[in-house]
Amino acid sequence: MKCNSCGAEIGLTDKVCPYCGRALTETAGYRADMDYYKEDSATTKKKADKIRAKNAPLVISVVVMVILLVADIALYYVADRAFLFRTDAVRRESARQYETYAKTMQEYLDDGDYTGFMAFKEVHEIAEWEAPYEDMRLLCEIGKEYASLVSKLEEVTMFGPEASWYRPESDIQDCHRQIRYFYSTFDDSLSMIDEDPYKDYIYDMKAKADLLLEIYLGLDETGRSEFFASSDIRQEAYLEEVLIHD
Amino acid sequence: MIKKVILILSLVANLVLAIFLIGLLPKAIEELHFSYVERDTILPNTIRNYLDWENYGVAASLSRPIRGGAQVFEEDADYYKLGEYAELLFLSKVFAAAQNTDTAEKCESRMTQIRSEMPSYDTVFDKIDQSCPGQQ
Repeated sequence: MKCNSCGAEIGLTDKVCPYCGRALTETAGYRADMDYYKEDSATTKKKADKIRAKNAPLVISVVVMVILLVADIALYYVADRAFLFRTDAVRRESARQYETYAKTMQEYLDDGDYTGFMAFKEVHEIAEWEAPYEDMRLLCEIGKEYASLVSKLEEVTMFGPEASWYRPESDIQDCHRQIRYFYSTFDDSLSMIDEDPYKDYIYDMKAKADLLLEIYLGLDETGRSEFFASSDIRQEAYLEEVLIHD
Repeated sequence: MIKKVILILSLVANLVLAIFLIGLLPKAIEELHFSYVERDTILPNTIRNYLDWENYGVAASLSRPIRGGAQVFEEDADYYKLGEYAELLFLSKVFAAAQNTDTAEKCESRMTQIRSEMPSYDTVFDKIDQSCPGQQ
């Protein structure tokens, strides 16, 4: 816009011409509009502030709710999975303590105490499928079946004079199944055993399993051959005969 | 009006969530607090029941983790020792037959130690001795 008096360029909201000093009437309309807009803007701002203030408790409450919900879910997850965290922590600790633990495990093996070995392995969450214990993989695989075999034999043979045996048939079936598991695991692993660093212990484990059957089930070498050559029904019948009737 | 209802509902939800959070907190802390060698899957009631029923083989099998270094609560230690005694008795015959003389001796020495530590359980030890086939 130009000043009507001096023709200089002037602002739309100037009250006087900055060049000739004349009071500007031609910008009065613009100034009035400007004042109106300013006032309107302030009113709108006030309204917005009022609405915001009114909604603040709701917004805060919803934000708190979201935070609480996330915290609850996270805490529930942690509490529910604590066992896994613990297992992982024990496993990592076992890897750190490799030298000490390997020495202890070797002592169990040298004693021929494979159930003690497996108990140590399980309590300390030794992960035989990964470093540094991976060379014990086959030993642990067969050892697991051996330890279960010992457990099942204990469960069907050791009763006090006034014992109550509630499920003899199913316990004998479990025992029979475990005998088969151990021997089939051993037989299936035969090709790998000879190349295993712990092969002597694995063979000794098998020899001890044979002795267990001999001592507690009366199965000497010939008896074992006949036992394994017979049908499942005959095998179970033999176990029932020895464990219940004898 | 709707906003007020939403606000009240959200406040109620917050209260419930806060109570849930406070309830979960001690459980989570307790679950995460552990020692490295621990066996929380051992159930004392179970082993006690089997000892009561004179199923010493099951007690032997259940108590095996303590032979691997698992820790049990002080008040249950005796039950596990009874189980350990039964397991050692069972295994000592195998060790003896397998010519693992040292191991068989270790078993017997540990059994003697357990017996001497728990004189009040003499009757139970005698029953365990009788329970092992071939044992007099």
